[in-house]
Amino acid sequence: MILDKLGKELLFFDGGMGTQLQAKGLNPGELPETWNLTHEEEIVDIHRQYYAAGSDIVLTNTFGANALKFQEEGLSLEKIVKQAVRHAKEGAKLGVTGDRETYVALDVGPTGKLLKPMGDLAFEDAYQAFAEVMRYGEESGADLIHIETMSDTYEVKAAVLAAKEQTSLPVFVTMIFDERGKLLTGADVPSVVALLEGLRVDALGINCGLGPEQMLPILDSIMEYASIPVIVKPNAGLPVQRDGETCYDVLPQEFAETMQKVVGRGAAVIGGCCGTTPEHIRHMIAECDGRTLRAQTKKNRTIVSSYGCSVELGIGSKIIGERINPTGKSKFKAALKEHNLDYILKEGITQQEKGAHILDVNVGLPDIDEVAMMREVVEQLQSVTNLPLQIDTVDTKAMDVAMRIYNGKPMVNSVSGKKESMDAVFPLIKKYGGVVIGLTLDESGIPETAEGRLAVAEKIIAEAAAYGIDKKDIVIDVLCMTISSEPSGAVTTLKALKMVREKLGVHTVLGVSNISFGLPSRPIINANFYTMAMHEGLSAGIINPSSDAMMQSYYAFHALMNMDPNCENYIANYANRPTAASSAQMSVNPAAAQTASDPAGGQSGSQDGSLKRAVEKGLKEDAHHTTCMLLEQEKPLDIINRYLIPALDMVGKGFEKGTVFLPQLLMSAEAAKASFAVIKEALQKSGTQEEKKEKIVLATVKGDIHDIGKNIVKVLLENYSFEVIDLGKDVPPEDVVDAVCENDVKLVGLSALMTTTVVSMEDTIRQLREKAPGCRVMVGGAVLNQDYADMIGADFYGKDAMQSVYYAQKLLNE
Amino acid sequence: MDNRTKETIRYLGYGNHAVDSTTIAMISDSFRNLESVANCKSIYRIFDLHETDENYYKIGTVHLESRNLSKNLKGCHRVVLFGATLGAEVDRLLTRKALMSMAEVVVLQAAAAAMLEEYCDECQEEIRVSLEREGEYIRPRFSPGYGDFDIHYQRPLMQMLDCAKKIGLTMTDSFMMSPTKSVTALIGVSSTQENCHKKGCEVCGKKDCIYRRDTV
Repeated sequence: MILDKLGKELLFFDGGMGTQLQAKGLNPGELPETWNLTHEEEIVDIHRQYYAAGSDIVLTNTFGANALKFQEEGLSLEKIVKQAVRHAKEGAKLGVTGDRETYVALDVGPTGKLLKPMGDLAFEDAYQAFAEVMRYGEESGADLIHIETMSDTYEVKAAVLAAKEQTSLPVFVTMIFDERGKLLTGADVPSVVALLEGLRVDALGINCGLGPEQMLPILDSIMEYASIPVIVKPNAGLPVQRDGETCYDVLPQEFAETMQKVVGRGAAVIGGCCGTTPEHIRHMIAECDGRTLRAQTKKNRTIVSSYGCSVELGIGSKIIGERINPTGKSKFKAALKEHNLDYILKEGITQQEKGAHILDVNVGLPDIDEVAMMREVVEQLQSVTNLPLQIDTVDTKAMDVAMRIYNGKPMVNSVSGKKESMDAVFPLIKKYGGVVIGLTLDESGIPETAEGRLAVAEKIIAEAAAYGIDKKDIVIDVLCMTISSEPSGAVTTLKALKMVREKLGVHTVLGVSNISFGLPSRPIINANFYTMAMHEGLSAGIINPSSDAMMQSYYAFHALMNMDPNCENYIANYANRPTAASSAQMSVNPAAAQTASDPAGGQSGSQDGSLKRAVEKGLKEDAHHTTCMLLEQEKPLDIINRYLIPALDMVGKGFEKGTVFLPQLLMSAEAAKASFAVIKEALQKSGTQEEKKEKIVLATVKGDIHDIGKNIVKVLLENYSFEVIDLGKDVPPEDVVDAVCENDVKLVGLSALMTTTVVSMEDTIRQLREKAPGCRVMVGGAVLNQDYADMIGADFYGKDAMQSVYYAQKLLNE
Repeated sequence: MDNRTKETIRYLGYGNHAVDSTTIAMISDSFRNLESVANCKSIYRIFDLHETDENYYKIGTVHLESRNLSKNLKGCHRVVLFGATLGAEVDRLLTRKALMSMAEVVVLQAAAAAMLEEYCDECQEEIRVSLEREGEYIRPRFSPGYGDFDIHYQRPLMQMLDCAKKIGLTMTDSFMMSPTKSVTALIGVSSTQENCHKKGCEVCGKKDCIYRRDTV
């Protein structure tokens, strides 16, 4: 078993395969894996040479063998993979002398596709593609799976899960870092190590992209974070373009000498990648063989990660944004019920802008499908923010699904000291990796004393250990009770916090604002308690980063405690703040402030004129303020009809004539939207029913991932009082039909960018005609024109966004 | 005004019209945002080019057929395959902005297109200089999807460049680039210099296009 040797003695991989194949005549454009069937002797011979050079582990010629790359008919993936393993074994028979024990690693490279939501490959489809190859590999007797040359944390997660769930083989993973120490997709060393160790691979490391010398600093960085054996497989130097060909110039002896340094710096498994030959490997082994390994140490760093960034607890205090949570928020609840993802995503972006380090995600509401919603929100959030997420749910199924599709090592909220909770949550942490919040409560409730809470924390940590989950992956929440009903609530919490930090050496987290429940002016209590908690060693506070009071505590604490070098962050945030007196004035009379800064703006008493002007000029804030003022004098509907509609018409006409351009048209639309929002609120307050709006379904068709055009149309339609049901991008025809039928919609707008996706547009129209014959279809997008639109049977071609508005008005308002 | 700002304005459809100061400010903001997230990567390889018949070419094992491309490659014996991308973070930036302001998004996406073209021009210039040292000359770059050069050729070309592994550039099943702000192209190489360094826009037959560069 290779695991018996791994980490105890130095193990040697083989070197490059591609370079050898090209030397044997592989043509550009030819799939190397087909040679397992067509050039068997050549493949066996390459393996033989590496075994003869002394490699312990040889990789099969299956780097690109997966169903996504092998789509052509007549090529059996199963046969290719099984032959590949057989060739490696044959190579061992011929190349290995004596009774040296050697291994065959099933080589698994990337699919060559980008995963959703950025690309079009579903996570589970990537998983299936890997799983298929891995099953063939295990069936044909491979000794381990080596997943390599990965540049995307999401894809590697799919591959590792497939290997772990579909086979019982050891799993090694290496990824490509660039000279900045990052993956192509942006992840740094700590995020990669956190993810892979969380998924419990057997060894991890780096291959390809760089030469041995350039890999040294990255290896050093990996050694600072990793607790498991590290693999290093460099190219034979940096690639040099010579006559259009990629060449590698580091010669075998030089390669071998640097690899000796690599071993000295802590690598446990070494080999070569592009440009390395059996000669490189022979020299490397001659130079390094018999060297003792540097002992790998356990690193106790608590790290959560996303696809492109990592957050380590214990360095300052971290902010976990609490706003993605329906509790006590009527607007958020409404957004969940209406499936208004944009609202939820905006909450995420705002918190990031305000300084959050991690975003808590809770979408639990009794009457929604929490599993589906959690999945969707986690996936979508990761297309707009690089912050690590904290999966917050009591629904184990939702937790499982979210952890599975999460791109990174998540924070998980939470487990408690109840047996039932630990039985449900710990297996998930063990399987997917994660840092889990342990709540100090159990079957007998929340202990009243700090000692009692410490005891529950100890129980949680001990039970986690039984699953093989290290205490670095447990963060304890000692809970806080409001001081309005529990006078010693804060004292107990702070005491427990300190005890947990000192006695158990684990990190801590608190939902800070519970402390003030039932009291007036809660921010005062919250902010002061937050400071006190940070002083007792709070590793992360779950707070609202939009609260000025909380953020003041945060920045002040770090400045005071010498955790903000040169008070940089404090100064950056507060140097140019208006004084309390002047900001009070601003908020009393915002419109006055606006007018003052904009002398050309409406003269006093002419808010009507300035609302029109604000919309025409695209001034969002002005539109908001003047609408507020106008509402004191005029009826909401009058404001719409007298100012907003004429202003929008004016801009729309200008756009048609070619005197107003797209950015201005949209700025006006956004200004109008700001005004409509004020009016809508006023209508709701007064209990007036809004006018019933006509519904329009918008979608970018299946296969198409560009949605800017569709979003432009959406903004404009909404301003003209249509209710837009936005199905997003890459929308299957069936989904469009369903949305139309469910909502009894009379008009659908479809967008497509390229000829390759107009086919799905045509298909969508065909299905609509069958199932919803009364519904009209308007189409638009870069590739379309009137002829094309006629050909696929659309009712209307909108050459620009305004044309769609006019068509909708003509069709639905008359 | 720098060239990429001019190009952004052109992509926004302004033609010869004056641009308001707000839009100008949004353009410079866009470039600032793009600079902070873009991870520009490119790759090229040179292959022998065989003209197998009129309008037919062969590169390695890949056969190409296109009248327009053939015009572009006339007299070339080699070809540079080229790929470039601004990286996936630009797509995330676009998605993020789309939630906040569509006005900013249209400007941002035009700026990203201009930035990508500028980057491709820089890469191409390096290729030109290095080939001219060897006494060889390049033609304007030509991408799958231009004229009658079928978009489906994208697949083998990207495979020959190993784009996914080398620069993180992939293609969807519908032949769309992912990351979206990316380019693949062929650049003909010949031993004779020809004055054909005009860019795509000026040689295009669609003279009434609102995005046309102001050359007429």
